[in-house]
Amino acid sequence: MKEFDVIVVGGGITGAATARDCAMRGLSTLLIERSDICDGASGRNHGLLHSGARYAVTDKEGAEECIRENRILRRIASNCVEPTGGLFITLPGDSLEYQENFVRCCRDAGIDAVPISPKEALRLEPAVNPELIGAVKVPDASVDPFRLTDANIIDAMQHGATILKFHTVTGFVRNNGRVCGVRVTKPGVIRSQEIRARMVVLAAGIWTAGLIREAGINIGMLPSKGALVIFGHRVAGMVINRCRKPSNADILVPGDVVSVLGTTSDKVPFEGIDDMRATPEEVDLLLREGVSLVPALSHTRIIRAYAGVRPLVMADSDGDGRSVSRGIVVLDHEQRDGVPGLITITGGKLTTCRLMAEMVTDAVCAKLGVKAVCETALRPLPGSGKAHKDDEEVPYFKRAAIGRHGTEVSRMDFDLGHEIICECEQVTRAEIKYAVKTLGVRNISDLRRHTRIGMGTCQGSFCIKKVAAVLAEELGEPLREKEFIDEYLQERWKGITPVFWGDSLREAEYMQRTHKDEI
Amino acid sequence: MRFDAIVIGGGQAGCEATARLLDASLKVCLISAGLTMEDENTDPWRENRAMAQRGATVLRGDRAVSAVLEAGKVLSVRTVNLDDEPLEAALFILATGKYFSRGLLSDMEHIYEPVFGADVDYIPGRSHWYDQDFSAPQPFLSFGVKTDERGRVLIGGKSIGNLYATGDILARDAAEADWAQIMNDYAGK
Repeated sequence: MKEFDVIVVGGGITGAATARDCAMRGLSTLLIERSDICDGASGRNHGLLHSGARYAVTDKEGAEECIRENRILRRIASNCVEPTGGLFITLPGDSLEYQENFVRCCRDAGIDAVPISPKEALRLEPAVNPELIGAVKVPDASVDPFRLTDANIIDAMQHGATILKFHTVTGFVRNNGRVCGVRVTKPGVIRSQEIRARMVVLAAGIWTAGLIREAGINIGMLPSKGALVIFGHRVAGMVINRCRKPSNADILVPGDVVSVLGTTSDKVPFEGIDDMRATPEEVDLLLREGVSLVPALSHTRIIRAYAGVRPLVMADSDGDGRSVSRGIVVLDHEQRDGVPGLITITGGKLTTCRLMAEMVTDAVCAKLGVKAVCETALRPLPGSGKAHKDDEEVPYFKRAAIGRHGTEVSRMDFDLGHEIICECEQVTRAEIKYAVKTLGVRNISDLRRHTRIGMGTCQGSFCIKKVAAVLAEELGEPLREKEFIDEYLQERWKGITPVFWGDSLREAEYMQRTHKDEI
Repeated sequence: MRFDAIVIGGGQAGCEATARLLDASLKVCLISAGLTMEDENTDPWRENRAMAQRGATVLRGDRAVSAVLEAGKVLSVRTVNLDDEPLEAALFILATGKYFSRGLLSDMEHIYEPVFGADVDYIPGRSHWYDQDFSAPQPFLSFGVKTDERGRVLIGGKSIGNLYATGDILARDAAEADWAQIMNDYAGK
């Protein structure tokens, strides 16, 4: 492989946005991801486009970043963002003085926070706890992290970037102490391969901690687990937050046809980060708190529970790890550790992914002497914008795809592919073909992330065999059909076991009886 | 309304029990909620109709919700649709299946049988109910109603003289009564 200007390690939202920015500035760019795009923390979060209000009281700078980026993403990624609006509600026992201060802090940070009466709040969002004593309207929104990451990847590719999935970075190529590339392996091949670049950017979330040790560097990082629960309905139309010091289970976010309640925050050991599971105890806690936010959650069907890992970065001066930062951290390892050629980008939030990319790409360009300026805030991402004319009649089989992929539907061939494969999410064969061809989908979990196949009401119970057959056919690998089914069922099982009671238990029995020859 | 026998649950096990009772010329009521997992070999509605044609009173789309017990015996059950009409009988067969058919209900910690409050053989605490591997044997599928050695349902550890369980609702290790035994018990009342 040729020498690249920059290698970005990590195919989550940070890596994808960084690859896009680098490519747009004319750098020859390679992104390496050990698994599929969005398989780490980027695919296991709330899907919340922060207005910044949550941070206004404790972290003004973070709040300002959020509201700026919130406005930018609404503009450049319209198909990924649903402008739901958000509420911060004050419940009996919470302090109305806190709410007053909260509104003041929001306004200081440039966030349009409007206090409204409890009655008005119930009119806007009938799902909120009717006992509320105060409410504030803020510009929170819902964002689809899978789509946003895909859009960045597609744009990076359209600007010449190369994406290498299912390749693991195992170490660095060094020359006189300088990092001048990475060693990668791929499944089934023992020998590692060297790929050279003038700069290497680590954007691997919590997995950065392990990678950086290969360069003889230490970054104080802590994995912080966040568990979330998905409900099978759009219980609320707006993002609902609790107006108090940020705590467990105080945000409910509507997204597509579901609602996501979260989150917890617990430091966990590094050993478990590759297989994060929500535990029954976490689910109990989430429900206990969530019901006070939105009482209807007590009798809403739960689809699954899952967990992701935030990377908490300790301040360099802080030995005992008590002061952690959730802000954006760019580490120039030449300056910090005397290792030229290597930069780490970490911290930050889904909402500020574009800004993180801009900051680290600025740093890369400074090292490479490239003068190009950042244009990522000005140019829309692929899919953003109007997918059809106002007066155009859109056929039923295209509507869901437009909702998901926006203008990208022009690249789907519906003439032969309008048959619907996943009924809940209305995924057609054309969309599966597109996912295989354009997004490089290789297995059923990839397909789920990139199309929402099997994420709907039936959770694959009725369609998974059909989906597996069609995917195997489109990949030209008919023998993998059974593997796809098993993979899907195991993943579904992982999500249903933490919520194993009531209707979920009924579903579990149904799954066992329909998909197992013997039980 | 009074019958000789009432079968609760219209799936495969309930229909088989009904057929046996009809064979013995009993006046039978079959309560069938219609929440059976069908497969290509069974059609519960067709079976239910066949039972009706043979003379059973079939309450289709109805569900037993409560029971009256006295001196270790069931006197009557009530259903959703006939809530002001206790259904009485000398013999009761519980065949409501497991979770999908709502024969067993659950909350975050417990599994219970909703009509009679029958003893359920299970481990409290839902983290004990599953194996994380989908393809492994699953503990929750072996849970079910407890019976005594003659197949009579236990409530609070005591045998109920005229209540038998059959089919999926039985715990894996629970004894199932044989029909000769049931008819024998019935004849002795």
